[in-house]
Amino acid sequence: MSTSETAAVPGTALGTAPVIGAGLGLEPRVGVVGADVPRQIVLACGAVPARILGSWTGAVSQESTELLGATDAVAARVLNEILSGAHDELAGLVVCNDSMADLRVYYVLRILAERGRVPFPVHFLDAPRGGGDHRRRFVSHQYERLAAFTSGITGHQADATSLAGAAAREAELGAALEAVRGRRREGVLSGTTALTAYRAAAQLSPEDALERITDLVRSETLDRGASEPVERDGSAEPAAAGVPVYVTGSSHPDATVYTELEAAGAIVVGEDHDAGDAAWIGDTVTAATLAEACAVLAARHAARPPAAARSLSSERTDHLLAETERCGAAGVVALVRDLDDGPVWDLADHRPALAGRNLWLAEQLRVPAGGVQDAAAGILHTLSQNVNRKDAP
Amino acid sequence: MAATRHQKEWFQTVRQRAAAGEPIALVNADAPHEVFRALDIPYVVTQWWSSIIAAKQAGPASMERLAAGGLPDFSLQYDAMPLGEQDLPDEDRPWDGLPAPRFAVAERSGDVTAKIFEQWGNRPGTETFLLSRTGADPVPDRWWELVPHQWEQAFGTERLDLLQGEIQDLIAWLEERTGRTLDYGRLAEIMALGNQQAEWNRRTRDLIATTRPTPVLVNDTMPAVMSPQWQRGTQWAVDAARSLYEETAERVDQGIAVCPGERKRLMWVGRGLWSDLGLYTRFQEEFGAVFVWSMYLAIAADGYLRYGDDPVRALAARFVGITDQLYVPPWSSQWYVKEALTHGVDGVVHLVADDTPGSGFITEALKAEGIPVLEIRANNADQRSSSAARIPERIAEFIRHRV
Repeated sequence: MSTSETAAVPGTALGTAPVIGAGLGLEPRVGVVGADVPRQIVLACGAVPARILGSWTGAVSQESTELLGATDAVAARVLNEILSGAHDELAGLVVCNDSMADLRVYYVLRILAERGRVPFPVHFLDAPRGGGDHRRRFVSHQYERLAAFTSGITGHQADATSLAGAAAREAELGAALEAVRGRRREGVLSGTTALTAYRAAAQLSPEDALERITDLVRSETLDRGASEPVERDGSAEPAAAGVPVYVTGSSHPDATVYTELEAAGAIVVGEDHDAGDAAWIGDTVTAATLAEACAVLAARHAARPPAAARSLSSERTDHLLAETERCGAAGVVALVRDLDDGPVWDLADHRPALAGRNLWLAEQLRVPAGGVQDAAAGILHTLSQNVNRKDAP
Repeated sequence: MAATRHQKEWFQTVRQRAAAGEPIALVNADAPHEVFRALDIPYVVTQWWSSIIAAKQAGPASMERLAAGGLPDFSLQYDAMPLGEQDLPDEDRPWDGLPAPRFAVAERSGDVTAKIFEQWGNRPGTETFLLSRTGADPVPDRWWELVPHQWEQAFGTERLDLLQGEIQDLIAWLEERTGRTLDYGRLAEIMALGNQQAEWNRRTRDLIATTRPTPVLVNDTMPAVMSPQWQRGTQWAVDAARSLYEETAERVDQGIAVCPGERKRLMWVGRGLWSDLGLYTRFQEEFGAVFVWSMYLAIAADGYLRYGDDPVRALAARFVGITDQLYVPPWSSQWYVKEALTHGVDGVVHLVADDTPGSGFITEALKAEGIPVLEIRANNADQRSSSAARIPERIAEFIRHRV
């Protein structure tokens, strides 16, 4: 029997911070580590999915480091946040098997939950990539388990009505993000703002996220870039001005690097990581039953953009080439954190493919836990050189 | 020695069959090897081949070849090393080199195994097939008691359904490419031989656990177990496992001790240090400290037994959680504690690799039983990493002050 089935479900009585939903009353928040949760299911079961994304910066306790072993620093920060009580208001936590780092987070939390170290039940969502009938059936069953877990927290079973309600809320959020993507393509909206919008969509209720996204878009449209001043490397600024760049490599849990790039004048026009354009937000299905919804969402999962940790390099490269063309990117930026090796193997395929399209690649590999500023400076330096070579008059 | 000699001879037959145009396969350790045996497709196990490359001191050069090809030389070296070996000059290739495989088959462990095997598929004449790797959920207690017969309970029906379905797909994929047809009766025989082999390994492991002083060296049992492991499902492998037991029993009867003045019994948790097997005997003379345990015999004793009428489902059960048994807490920690207690060890050296999760819980569980643990973080196959970790010096210090 799994831990998630045996662990106590605290419900809303143990400090859950409820949010106001659209007609569903008070909704508990369910934390999500990883990018494989079909949000419609969670919403239909009466909870709000809230991604825990971690960050580029910040200390990690010795305990978290030792529990996880040699692991991507962002995953270590996620564990650190959870163990330090930063998410104690959650009613439950779902951890996805979407990377080895997140899988390790789950294994650690499963044991610590049994020991009472976290005040909410921990659930495992295993959604293998790659498609095919066997995987689809497995993923569909996993989604049904996710629904059972969420319903155990909320007391609300998903049915046709709640699935439709969740679909409407999620679709509206998806439309707002699509509008953000459109504004970004037009050059009206920065990558920093887009990433912030994605973060809001991943962490807030659909209604709160919509409000936040509307504010972000309005703010940037009125006074573009002024809302988030950053310290910048002045020497790199002029050379990179106005260059549309696409971001691959490790995920960006926050906009630290985007702000550096855009402060130097570059524009992040798109990305393939799961905190940005590859975030699974806004996808919904029409279904009469939960089982039907899970089956169709499992099929949708198989068609999602390829992920650095769990997809083939060839799939990743095909996607990258299509996206850089769609976004009109002049080049590609790849920061890869130390111990996040999936993207490193992709880069071996990316390099010749990008060169074949006359796209430059600025890469920083094995970025250490405290090394994001240096890595960003290195990227800016490379960017400057590339811009001077190809795009400067 | 006999096992190693056989392995060398076997490898040359693989080379000869490949040279004659037969398809051969490269598979990772957790792929369903028995399918290839039943289809009479010779296969080489990635991790075994990496250990040969490392033991022949060709690891660094192989990794340099990877780097020269734009691939990382710092990532999952144990799986990646054979890719680099393919590009070494002929004179530098261990045992004259691995022939280009027709098939490269792996399960998607971690974040990069699939990508490494995808690289094999990019080489001329090689096609890749990848199986799913699901997470360890559920994890009932004391897996070693459940997995031989109650594997549905141990691993969960959905995980088994997925892998069973994919093994059926693999069989069809291989049949289509080779023009052969799998004989399911033959597969059942191969599964039964694998079980017999594991039963002999259990007897050997249990005998060593209860014998003081220890009768055999771990650096002898490691190859003596692993060479037959990669021949699993053959009568030769059953006989080799039986011989290991009989030789061990004979040594016990004769009162032969590896370290006659045995004072400290040590356990080696983690992969073998193949590039320096002499390490395991280095502490006997000065400290009377002898390594009595490695995972190779122990997992061969507990990890592979699967009894069942449907050979494909039993095969799925054999591989769906093999890595979980070794590395996923609480399964891993429970098992290491069980083994430490039954073997009566005085201290544990725990080699923590980059790609193994939950190591802290293993150390914690052992310490909770009052057993001192030395954690060393290093890659077992990459000499650059193991040298930097100062392993011999740290073990000596550990024995001197903490055991």
